[in-house]
Amino acid sequence: MIKDMDKKTAEEKMSQLEWYITKHCLWQYNSRGWDREIQNERILGKTKQILCGENAREDDSTADKYYWSEAMTLTGAFKRYFPWLEETSKEDIAVIMHMLKEKMDYTMIKGSLNVELTKEQY
Amino acid sequence: MPYHQFECSECIPERLHHAVDKNPGEQLTDALPLGYLNTIPGSISERGCAYCGAKHVIGTPMKDVIHLSHGPVGCTYDTWQTKRYISDDGNFQLKYTFASNMKESHIVFGAGTMLKSNIIEAFKAFPEIKRMSIYQTCASALIGDDIEATAAEVMEEMPDVKVFTCNSPGFAGPSQSGGHHKINLAWLSQMVGTGEPEIFSKYVINYVGEYNIQGDQEIMKDYFYRMGIQILSTFTGNTHFDDLRSMHRAQLNVLECARSAEYICDELRVRYGIPRMDIDGFGFEGISDSLLKIGYFFGIEDKAREIIAEETARWKPELDWYAARLKGVRICLWPGGSKLWHWAHLLHKEIGVDVVSVYTKFGHQGDMEKGISRCEPGALAIDDPNELETIEAMYKLKPDVIFTGKRPGEVAKKIRVPYLNVHGYHNGPYKGYEGWVRLAKDIYNAVYSPIHRLALLDISKDEIPTDKEFETRQTLSDVKLSDEIKNSAVLRQCTSSYDPIPALREKLKKNESYLFPDPETGELRKVPVEKLMKNKVVDVEQ
Amino acid sequence: MTNRIIRAIDTVSFWKKYETIKKRIMSCELKTKERIGTINPIFTCQPAGAQFASIGIKDCIGLVHGGQGCVMFVRLIFSQHFKESFELASTSLHEDAAVFGALKRVEEGVDVLLMRYPNVKVIPIITTCSTEIIGDDIDGVVLKLNDGLLKEKYADREVYLVPIHTPSFVGSMITGYDLALKDFVSYFAKKEEKTNGKINLITGWVNPGDVKELKSLLSEMDVDATVLFEIETFDSPLMPDGNHISHGETTIEDLRGTANAIGTIALNKYEGGQAAEYLEQEFEVPAIIGPTPIGIRNTDTFLQNLKKMTGKPIPESLAKKRGIALDAITDVTHMFLAGKKVAIYGSPDLVIGLAEFCLDMEMEPVLLLLGDDNIGYAHDLRIKALQDSVKFKMEIVTNADLWELENRIKNEGLELDLILGHSKGRYIAIDNNIPMVRVGFPVYDRAGKFRHPVVGYAGATWLAEEMANAIFADMEYKHNKEWVLNVW
Repeated sequence: MIKDMDKKTAEEKMSQLEWYITKHCLWQYNSRGWDREIQNERILGKTKQILCGENAREDDSTADKYYWSEAMTLTGAFKRYFPWLEETSKEDIAVIMHMLKEKMDYTMIKGSLNVELTKEQY
Repeated sequence: MPYHQFECSECIPERLHHAVDKNPGEQLTDALPLGYLNTIPGSISERGCAYCGAKHVIGTPMKDVIHLSHGPVGCTYDTWQTKRYISDDGNFQLKYTFASNMKESHIVFGAGTMLKSNIIEAFKAFPEIKRMSIYQTCASALIGDDIEATAAEVMEEMPDVKVFTCNSPGFAGPSQSGGHHKINLAWLSQMVGTGEPEIFSKYVINYVGEYNIQGDQEIMKDYFYRMGIQILSTFTGNTHFDDLRSMHRAQLNVLECARSAEYICDELRVRYGIPRMDIDGFGFEGISDSLLKIGYFFGIEDKAREIIAEETARWKPELDWYAARLKGVRICLWPGGSKLWHWAHLLHKEIGVDVVSVYTKFGHQGDMEKGISRCEPGALAIDDPNELETIEAMYKLKPDVIFTGKRPGEVAKKIRVPYLNVHGYHNGPYKGYEGWVRLAKDIYNAVYSPIHRLALLDISKDEIPTDKEFETRQTLSDVKLSDEIKNSAVLRQCTSSYDPIPALREKLKKNESYLFPDPETGELRKVPVEKLMKNKVVDVEQ
Repeated sequence: MTNRIIRAIDTVSFWKKYETIKKRIMSCELKTKERIGTINPIFTCQPAGAQFASIGIKDCIGLVHGGQGCVMFVRLIFSQHFKESFELASTSLHEDAAVFGALKRVEEGVDVLLMRYPNVKVIPIITTCSTEIIGDDIDGVVLKLNDGLLKEKYADREVYLVPIHTPSFVGSMITGYDLALKDFVSYFAKKEEKTNGKINLITGWVNPGDVKELKSLLSEMDVDATVLFEIETFDSPLMPDGNHISHGETTIEDLRGTANAIGTIALNKYEGGQAAEYLEQEFEVPAIIGPTPIGIRNTDTFLQNLKKMTGKPIPESLAKKRGIALDAITDVTHMFLAGKKVAIYGSPDLVIGLAEFCLDMEMEPVLLLLGDDNIGYAHDLRIKALQDSVKFKMEIVTNADLWELENRIKNEGLELDLILGHSKGRYIAIDNNIPMVRVGFPVYDRAGKFRHPVVGYAGATWLAEEMANAIFADMEYKHNKEWVLNVW
């Protein structure tokens, strides 16, 4: 449910965030589908939490630290590139980030034409 | 993204799905070139073999190792001196190559005993070297020599040596990439975990997929050391054999070339829980994001920001001098596997050029996903290109400069397009802030070369202009520039010296600039330079 | 009285012992490398030689049956040496083929090449170690293709498939070249009624600069020749219309015509001798094999052989050319080159020719390294001549690698004033501060050496001056009487 903006605007803003990730990030390209699922989930999840001022650390594990560092760097870049984030409400950010995750799950996993994603072993 | 049909490949229709034109609004899910499939015989592909991927790309950069190929001399000869993976202690790995010199009698009767004699001979010739890697070739693999057994025997008899064996003959995969995979997993299973390192910093990484081409690793090492991070091992540029035996003790694997080394990172994550962090060591924004990410991981992002600010201030005016003059220059970015995606976006954004084509010689579909994502609409992306296709592409795209290998660069030269060596660089290193400026300078010198332009004139047909005695690079490049840029007091040309690496090595030797936090107390202190040059690694009791 | 006789006998036996020892120390020894392994090879393997022969032929694209590296790296080293790209293809042996056989890939490779390169006429199928070990019958597959694919799909095209067996575990790039050359000649040579009035000049593994000089000598003597291979065009220009691939110019007609020549001169015994012998045996084309025309004396002999074979006189213009060379060489010999100790490595004919020339120029070639295990070297008359006549300590090492040279310098006290060899040995010169003149193949760490001859009178001049200039540069870097050159 969108609060202050309509679906079309949300999609457009989501595209901007997506564009940044497409041009600058590498974490979404791990070589197996199940791995990409975890990357998207953890990193985009934490990015949303940071943008919304929530606690983004689950535990002290190095894995969590890793996802958090990616998310922190990404958030910093988002804020630099997209000043409109400053004026966007937490609810709308949550919606945009949700759309972003769905889109990235589709592009990088479900709809990906990369046949190596379905292999079991590395 | 429609698939791109090359005219010269109409007769081999399977090629259709190996190239796409990226059009505006299109997504990766619309079309993606196939990748890492068997090569079409007779196509004159750019690919090399799996032995090359294992021995030449990954094995031989290790600097204190005898690299012995078990087979006839050709394989070792071909991979000797032909790549610029330097080291900071004499370049043993560039100067010496070893072959067991298989002959017909060995093919018929086997070569096990001869291999053992070879190993002992080699160690005898270089008594100060105690480490060896033995690489299988097509010949020894086909006769079924058990090199692991021979290596085990030698290590039993000579307890102070260690011998790594790599079973990656030339035919073991469609391209070099097969070799990367094999050596990654072989190293992991034979050597990782067999050595315990001395940990002298709170922050410990492996720097993976970095081969110290022209000093790349040493540039990045400087940044990491300035942040107080211990590089347990580099896989495998400018590194000691023993360092790589202790990879399991790192807190983070910083991965550059995912194509060649993601395998060992993925396995280290599964077996030891070490996260894999992919970075770009090229481009100002690439490096800045990478250092910041690593900084966040260790809680030292402020240190990262310091370096980012310092380096950017130092080198941006120079980068911008070239960027102002390279806007719209058309580039074919035609490397082996990774640089198509490391460089595609940042070349465009920070140096201003248009990347009109990307290709990968031996990459997988993942490399194409990254490469196509990072290049702009209008680009032609090709998997496993062959010679006629690249010539057709060059004529169609009319690039101003081509980034490719040494030999295809000769083809480009004949089409009157200058080339820059994307594998071993021209005047590298190209990593780091300084390196990116050096790349910009090389592009500038290639594109605005007065002599190169003279090749466009046909003195037997064209009107010969007689109004100029000479041109300079700047008369060519500044023709359309505004006065503001031409007369800028801020922008300046590259001030990087011919070889920036000796200064870094001096800096390391002097050991006045690097402080590492004690792993227990966190107190910042200097670490003895001997430890920085060669870490102490103790054998783990088996 | 007895004492005097005993003392006399003692003296005689002493002098006999002295002479034997002196002969051993002060003589030319032929030995072979004792180590079984190779450290820093002098040569690469056979397929490279076959590929070098292939690129000398017009409208020819070699199809190397083996792993991709066997072609990719050879194309690379050619491009390093000539700063040009050459067309060579691979059948791309992959894992499945290694197990099940790969002849299908040869068939596919031929088809793909013919489809995409409409001008290609000659496709040598060059084997490598992998495909020889697997046992792929390329002769059989060529017959199959000739009867099948070529008749069905390419009936209106002139296509020649030449099987060449060059596994890497036999010989070296030198034998590979020799063998391929013979295979091309034996495949194409066709006896006609009349001779063609030409001689066959088999140059051996040389540079475009050598071919240019040889052709100039032939032209001065008004001798018409089929040059194998015509590679002057390897030094190809950068033209406005783009001619993106360099290639040789020897045609199928040239190869056919070799059977009808009035004679063959093969300059290098180990790089073309087989083909010359074949033409003599099969078609009664008289062959003269050697000597490599390096230096004045060997060039004189070459001209003499040309005269013998064609009846053409040696013109005064060549005497003048010779004179110019002698003038240049004598400027540098007794002042600077005399007594200089040289090590030479590379292909056998080149090494022997250089050694002979060095001796004529008062130098002391103290170490010759021949890079493969050809048993013929021990019977080579030129080597025997060196063994018989050289009175200073000289070693000729067969089956050698570059560690044989470096080890002697580093660990056995060998002192050298000059090294003659190809670029793979560059670090020996660099790290030990020994001046080096780049000759042979490959030379990639200097600009343009392939444009210069080492054969003929022009080659003799170039060699002498290169050696002198290398020594001069070294004198300056080391401040070793560099002031001598102020007024030379």
